[in-house]
Amino acid sequence: MENNDRVTHHSDHYEGHRSKQLDRRKYADGADVCIVGAGAAGGVLAYELAKAGLAVVVIEAGPFWNPQTDFASDELSTRRLAWQDTRLVDGAHPLKLGYNNSGRGVGGGTVHFTGVFLRFHESDFMTKSMDGVGEDWPIRYEDLEPYYDKIEREIAVSGPDHFPWGPFNGPYPYPVREPISANAQLFREACEKLGIDSVVAPLAILSAPFDGRPPCINRGFCNQGCMPNAKYSGLIHHIPKAIGLGAEVLSDCMVTQVLTDGDRVTGVLFVHDGQTYEQKARVVILAGFVVETPRLLLHSATPHFPDGLANSSGWVGRAIMPHSSHDVYGILQEEVRLYKGTPVLALTQHFYETDRERGFARGYTLSAHGARPVGMASAIAAERADGTMLWGSALRQAMLDYNFYARVTLVGEVLPHPDNRVTLAEEKDEYGMPRAKVTFSYQENDLKLIDHAVVQMKRIIEAMGGRPAHVVSDTAHLMGGCRMGNDPRTSVVDQFGRSHDIPNLYIVGASTFVTSGGANPTNTVMALAARTADHLIDAMRQRDV
Amino acid sequence: MAESSHYPSYDVWAEHREWDEHTRKIVAKRRSPDVAHRFLTPKEAVTLQTAASLLVDDIRLDVLTYITQHVDETLASPVGEDQRKVGVPEKQTLYRQGLRGLDETSEAEHRALFAALPKEQQLDVLTRIETGQVKPSGAWAQVPAKEFFKKMLHDVVSAYYSHPLIWSEIGYGGPAYPRGYIRVEKGLVDPWEAKQDGK
Repeated sequence: MENNDRVTHHSDHYEGHRSKQLDRRKYADGADVCIVGAGAAGGVLAYELAKAGLAVVVIEAGPFWNPQTDFASDELSTRRLAWQDTRLVDGAHPLKLGYNNSGRGVGGGTVHFTGVFLRFHESDFMTKSMDGVGEDWPIRYEDLEPYYDKIEREIAVSGPDHFPWGPFNGPYPYPVREPISANAQLFREACEKLGIDSVVAPLAILSAPFDGRPPCINRGFCNQGCMPNAKYSGLIHHIPKAIGLGAEVLSDCMVTQVLTDGDRVTGVLFVHDGQTYEQKARVVILAGFVVETPRLLLHSATPHFPDGLANSSGWVGRAIMPHSSHDVYGILQEEVRLYKGTPVLALTQHFYETDRERGFARGYTLSAHGARPVGMASAIAAERADGTMLWGSALRQAMLDYNFYARVTLVGEVLPHPDNRVTLAEEKDEYGMPRAKVTFSYQENDLKLIDHAVVQMKRIIEAMGGRPAHVVSDTAHLMGGCRMGNDPRTSVVDQFGRSHDIPNLYIVGASTFVTSGGANPTNTVMALAARTADHLIDAMRQRDV
Repeated sequence: MAESSHYPSYDVWAEHREWDEHTRKIVAKRRSPDVAHRFLTPKEAVTLQTAASLLVDDIRLDVLTYITQHVDETLASPVGEDQRKVGVPEKQTLYRQGLRGLDETSEAEHRALFAALPKEQQLDVLTRIETGQVKPSGAWAQVPAKEFFKKMLHDVVSAYYSHPLIWSEIGYGGPAYPRGYIRVEKGLVDPWEAKQDGK
């Protein structure tokens, strides 16, 4: 069958093209590398490793999406782009999972992320030595800098000529986005009045044509899947390129176990259409994000590894972190129309670094953030920061003013705590695997940071000429759970993502973060994946794995 | 706060020919919802629809029918529920018991089933469930009242604000692919968007 679609034409595994015979798959007898999860990290790894000539298989639990027929300009029907399988949540602040912070299907979370593309700062890698909180990473900003450069160039990140915070001050590879939305304009003008620097956001969204893809049309549905293909996702960039270079992508295949032989891993078991298959590989890389990667490691326990794979430290599943992500909705005299344009087009990192006078450590990013009716109404109804609920005529009347609201959103650092963790529950899922139980409670520093940020967000709304009307309690992103470190007693993987316990088992992605930073994490996830790829290519050439 | 629409003459559906086919199909289905349900019994559907009407403060039958259908689909679907708090039962049990609890509280406080009560008393019952001020017997011994209320509110509100009639009422421009939004800056609108003077 001829397929001219620029996204899927490299793929042999999508509707109408998939070989139903999984036994006839490309590397049935064994691959060099098997990557579990085709998200932000898995996509970069597949591309880099295939480019180096390695035989790569990527196994993805969800579908191989086609943006034209699977995505929609609609909130409710696109929640399925997330990992919706039930997880049990617990703790003083049980997390909202699913669409809030995960992806399912080729491209993973990048399919519905906002596209905000920030680097971590130097201080993020050394919070313990600088501020006495959290933990130092085994790497420094300089170790990641060339990979930030590489990824930003490779996907044509758009951004300002000058970025005033942190070690990288621009310019970005592609021109800054313009025009910006009314909400972003109001945010920048308000910041200016208050003496707060702001910028047009650096974005993994095209400002001009690139690689056969068009620039953004300000449709505004970044979080529902980009239909014009202007926003980067692994689905339309790294994965098709990797397939073109020889990688095989097995979608709708759920990995249920990592197989071991003595001290080494030999491959994985996966389920497709109720049938279990084995994929052998010299190296297995887990890139299944913060909940599924620990779940798989814990579930793959053997008599040799009774506490789960790579878990001699007991740190598998521990120290998971979301970002605190409160929203303040303010009502204005004029129309703002939060639905128009790329959701985040302006931000500030004025409050990013530790300031002792504030009474807490670390800091945050504030963004002007668009909102759509379902997201806004369900949040101001059922997720209010004061714990009350809004319904009936009060909700109806609030929403009649939908077009008159502006919104500011927090991305706040949450410090790692070992009791915030992923464990296995008693309850089983459809594959017979124990469901994940995710326990989370904010600590004192986290709550102080949120309070401070909410005050600043309200000031910004007021400087717009608005009145703060609804404060919503939310989180965004997930990080940690298999943290990297130099000490095998207190970390799961080394600085390259190689597990301390099993030399041919790697973990890559947000799960290896040591601290959360106060900025959107995808750029760092992809830079870490590119760094691991370089290391692994060398190691495999030297037969060191 | 507004008491009525700023855009009384705006109809977002009038633009549906400009939308991509997939989006058009999804939204069109909401305009003519099924009344047959897969999970809810007829009695449960009536109770839910009555509660939904109060939660969103609207009595239009076509919108309420869609809300009930959406919740029913969610309950009949094998797809997971993203997360569930430890101690809260699965969504099917939560709704089944919660809807039973609505009637039990109505009978205990006002001596009639929820759907048969006057609006004032229905609002009183909902407020009791919202704040957890219910007798911990019967259904409320099985499921936490506040958790049920929160889940129902979230589901009902999500469906309500997915209906194109409501999009029109609040002036939401909605789907914009393939044409996109051109005039996005402050004070600018594309010719087809909602305008306050109705032009």
